[in-house]
Amino acid sequence: MPNFNLSLSPEQIEYVLKPGITITQAYEVTNNSDNAITISTEVLAWQPSGNNGNISYQDVVASPNIIFSLNNADIKLGQTFSLAPKAKQQLVLKVSSAQETSLEDYYYTFFVTQQSQNTNSNNAIGSQATGKIGSNILLTVSNSENTSIQAQINKFTVSPKIKDVFFTPLTFKAEIKNNSQNFFKTKGTIIINKNDLKIKELELNDNNVLANYSRNITCKDQDTCTIQAPFWPGRYTATLKLDESINAPSANISFFVFPFSIVAILILFLAIFLTGFKLRKRFIEK
Amino acid sequence: MKLMMKPKMINKTIKDMSSLHQGRMSIYRQVGFIFFIFLFLITPKTISAQTFTSDKLKIQFGNFNMGSGKQTGGGYSLTNTTGQNAPGQFSNQGFVLKSGFQYIYDNIYPFSFQIDNLNINFGDLTPDVGSTASNNITITTPSRRGYQIMAVANRPLSSTIGTIIPDATCDSGTPCTESVSAPWTTNTAFGFGFNATNTAGIGTSAYFTNSTYYRHFASLSNQETGQIIMSESKPVKDSSAKITYKVLVSKFQPAGSYENSISFIAVPKY
Repeated sequence: MPNFNLSLSPEQIEYVLKPGITITQAYEVTNNSDNAITISTEVLAWQPSGNNGNISYQDVVASPNIIFSLNNADIKLGQTFSLAPKAKQQLVLKVSSAQETSLEDYYYTFFVTQQSQNTNSNNAIGSQATGKIGSNILLTVSNSENTSIQAQINKFTVSPKIKDVFFTPLTFKAEIKNNSQNFFKTKGTIIINKNDLKIKELELNDNNVLANYSRNITCKDQDTCTIQAPFWPGRYTATLKLDESINAPSANISFFVFPFSIVAILILFLAIFLTGFKLRKRFIEK
Repeated sequence: MKLMMKPKMINKTIKDMSSLHQGRMSIYRQVGFIFFIFLFLITPKTISAQTFTSDKLKIQFGNFNMGSGKQTGGGYSLTNTTGQNAPGQFSNQGFVLKSGFQYIYDNIYPFSFQIDNLNINFGDLTPDVGSTASNNITITTPSRRGYQIMAVANRPLSSTIGTIIPDATCDSGTPCTESVSAPWTTNTAFGFGFNATNTAGIGTSAYFTNSTYYRHFASLSNQETGQIIMSESKPVKDSSAKITYKVLVSKFQPAGSYENSISFIAVPKY
């Protein structure tokens, strides 16, 4: 049964390069299947889609000033070549920026595509599937290694804002907006304080925020930014602070924790006690 | 003459001899200590390190990592490096240095994508009866940013003379598109569609609520690009989904061979 089983490494590269400079990057593509396959390569430009790191290739025009080619002696970009079962192939991608390249970011994916092997019989009704695996290329074209970054924190929220000491966790959300022409990473922390004492610190994942786009925050070792109950009752404040190099003012929010469940249990016990007391009193009166 | 010694004198003599012996031992110790210091100073020092050299380069390893790994349990996840001199992530203007296994362990398996069957064959179709076929996709990504998988067809299921089986629009009242899925359970809604599901809905539930939800493929012939059908925002190993293809034709559908090509595209999130 024909199948697709490819690995591509590295899965993402990030470079700062000056106009007129050429760099090379070696990729390793591995055919993990038991069949010899024919593959080809291509590079496509993309743009961010949404705030969660998704990518869209729809209506994206590649810059003519960023030129890609393969440095391999026997393989050209776009040309098909064979890969034996369990074999690896190193592909050396050459990235050149023209002298007149605008000083901004450029985002691409280097794709390796397995060519379709149509083995469906004649008069069949069906589809021929094929696979494609890509590695992202984040390029900053700049005359300086240290690019100027301006950002802001939007929609810093906590849910729920009023909560019980037990049960539901607290989830923090925020959106980092990049107001500059170059991507940066969301280095920073959420610090939760109560009575000016630090209760907890959550470290942000260093996700890329692309030029003029926004990115939702996530925290280390979790999909979101969440802290689990229980909490002491009281007023808490949370501060989202980004790394100083990002030039973004920190954002603050507050939330309250009340002992709802404890009060409810006490009321329940009190009601049971009072009911029992009344019943006992009636019994004695009779 | 008989030498007679009183017990007190004997004790004193023993003490004197003992102190003399101790004094000699102390001198031996001091001489021994100085000798070892001397040896330490004059002998070349050996450190545990590894060096690789060639005409153009020399790589020196300052230490040997003697053990490393990642252990997980019910309530914990522990990574460790043993033997690293200064584990940690260090950064400055222009560089990031990751020292120690736990700072690189997420790269020990490469970004991989697998489709277990590339031939999707429905066999003979019966009008007004839905036919399904399936295959499985599996993805591994070391990136904590996660991945996205997109799907796109070159065209609708088409015959050689240009007749097509239309794209599924799902049940009337809840239309599906190439980017929106909807229930498709009736046998009066004709077309070709698919869904992606797995047991826990991990990665797929945002796109297909359950296995009754379908959508049709984005089609290059309609100037559409691949639509995301599965994604996660964390590193995964062998995360998989079952792709179910469904075709339902009316009795007016001309007989013949209908084919198209479908691409599944896996890319990491940035």
